[in-house]
Amino acid sequence: MSSQTTRYPGERLFSFLLVVFSIFLLWRAYLISGFSDLSSPGAVPMGASAMMVISACIAFTQTLKQPPVEGGRFFYHCLPMVVGFMMAMVIIYAVLLEQLGFIIASLLFLFITLRTLSQRSALWSLGLAVISLAIIYIIFRLIFQIVLPEGVVPEREILAVVSRLWEDA
Amino acid sequence: MEALNYFALSWLSPELLALTALGTFLGIYVGAIPGLSVTMAVSILISFTFSWDVNNALCLMVGIFMGGVYGGSRTAILLNIPGAPSAIATALDGYPLAKKGLAGEAIGLSTVMSVIGGFVGIIVLALAAPTISEFAITFQPRDYLLLAILGLTLVGSLSSGSLAKGLFAGALGVLVGTVGLDPLTAEERFTFGVIELWDGINVIAAMIGLFGVSEALHQLHHLDKAIIKQKITRIIPPWADIRKYFPLSLQSSFIGVIIGALPGTGGDIAALMAYDQAKRSTKKPDVPFGHGAKEGLIAPEAANNAAVGGAFIPMLTLGIPGDAVTAVFIGALFIHGLNPGPLLLVEQPHMFWFTVGNLTLANIFVLIFGLTGIRIFSKLVECPKGVMIPLIMLLSVVGAYAINNSVIDIWWMLAFGILGYFMRLYNYPVGPVILGVILSKLMDENWRRAILSERGDMGQFFANLFSSPLSCVLFAAIVLALFTQTPLWTKTLKPRLFR
Repeated sequence: MSSQTTRYPGERLFSFLLVVFSIFLLWRAYLISGFSDLSSPGAVPMGASAMMVISACIAFTQTLKQPPVEGGRFFYHCLPMVVGFMMAMVIIYAVLLEQLGFIIASLLFLFITLRTLSQRSALWSLGLAVISLAIIYIIFRLIFQIVLPEGVVPEREILAVVSRLWEDA
Repeated sequence: MEALNYFALSWLSPELLALTALGTFLGIYVGAIPGLSVTMAVSILISFTFSWDVNNALCLMVGIFMGGVYGGSRTAILLNIPGAPSAIATALDGYPLAKKGLAGEAIGLSTVMSVIGGFVGIIVLALAAPTISEFAITFQPRDYLLLAILGLTLVGSLSSGSLAKGLFAGALGVLVGTVGLDPLTAEERFTFGVIELWDGINVIAAMIGLFGVSEALHQLHHLDKAIIKQKITRIIPPWADIRKYFPLSLQSSFIGVIIGALPGTGGDIAALMAYDQAKRSTKKPDVPFGHGAKEGLIAPEAANNAAVGGAFIPMLTLGIPGDAVTAVFIGALFIHGLNPGPLLLVEQPHMFWFTVGNLTLANIFVLIFGLTGIRIFSKLVECPKGVMIPLIMLLSVVGAYAINNSVIDIWWMLAFGILGYFMRLYNYPVGPVILGVILSKLMDENWRRAILSERGDMGQFFANLFSSPLSCVLFAAIVLALFTQTPLWTKTLKPRLFR
């Protein structure tokens, strides 16, 4: 029983894709061990994927029956520019993380996203990006000792020099 | 005596004391900031703490859990935006109180009542868990399977308007949990020939994606929402008020702890039920409900914090998480080598009493942090989303990478994040997915054990199901949970029966 009364833009396609995805998973689950045995490795995956197919079909049917939201536009209500931008930024950040290293990739990511989302000046965004990154670096890299990708920055050497200077002082 | 030693362990160790305090403090702020949830915080935190000593990690997570449930009430009172689902009912009367210039008093009262609720929940946990645990040892594999299905069914049906969507989410989670090599036969399941998938999909990456990334992406829809500022005056509530509303807080706490202990229900449902009960039982409130009645603030606050202790009961004694937060929490316990379930109290009773002691300590910290620093806090929660969201994204990426120092986990996190975003958008609940992942192993193992013990005979399986009173009750509960969501019940039978 659904309490939702209207259909959002793109909901029909999403529900349909879930049906197709569920059927594909049911087929893959069948390939594990077929109907050979109730205690076979494929039994629970088949049960779960069968449940997915049934529930996805019901949800899809419910969606088809619902009238669309008045004036709803997919790229305005469901995937606005800002969400698409953020998804793209995170993907680019993940790609660059190992190549450029944590410090440079994160600084670029923070600067661009802060500047775009908060719509403040470049200097303000850069300042906040540097401060935030410094805090995150100190907490996670130096205190929690989490290994982060170095990339093009010779981080270990810099840290060794800093710690030597610290000891000398 | 030994139990008392473990109970007091986090109280006597400065390191554990500090971590509990830090966790509670962070939890209050995380819970209070709309868009940041306790589930999100614990998910991200697991990736950073999984190499820690189990006690240290537990202290931080328990603190965040306890503080986070309380923290949601603050923005509900100050901004009419519940920081967490468990604070939805708090906003109904909390915000009208703030509009009357009583924001400080409302926060003070909600803090004290939350702490009373928290203590009731912990006491019930300490008293009930050992008995339930002893009883749970007698459970058959069939009963565990039914319990897991019941939890998924209840969470699926309660967390969104559509039962079909809830069940889909739960089943998807179970399927995700089966990816990798079968633990019994080493047969490949959904690996598509990719060796990296032999170990399965990392549950932490999935959690961060579903709760961190998808929530942050969703918050981008409300970037330009204006924040209303409130004036804060007196914070410590008058003693007369505490005395006057103490019976109501106890009544609401008991509702909270019972609701919290049921699989599939959490602080949000407990708070709404306690609010409803307070509305019925308060004959002549000084101010009508919905217009700033103190009873309407006290009942949900006592109930949602009591639900924390309640939620720990099935989690520690049966190994069954009740909702998304406890599902994430149970995942963290597994990662730290603990095996929540009936044997936890037999094999590792120290962990149980340590958790009870730590919850009590965190509850005391809720009182301390709850009554202090509110003015600074009101400034911090006004932090614009344009600043908060990039930071959440960064922490999510770092958290996913830190699990195995691998970019693959970041890709999984992103995939689940984008899936979670569209699921939220189209009203598919994401909580049951994680619950399904966590329960997957338990369901798979117990289904196979149960069916093997019946020598693969399905008829015998059902015959034995109806000969065991416990299995019968659990099976009836599943059927009831499903039936009450069907149109036959909601449209035909319910209106006739409850006219």
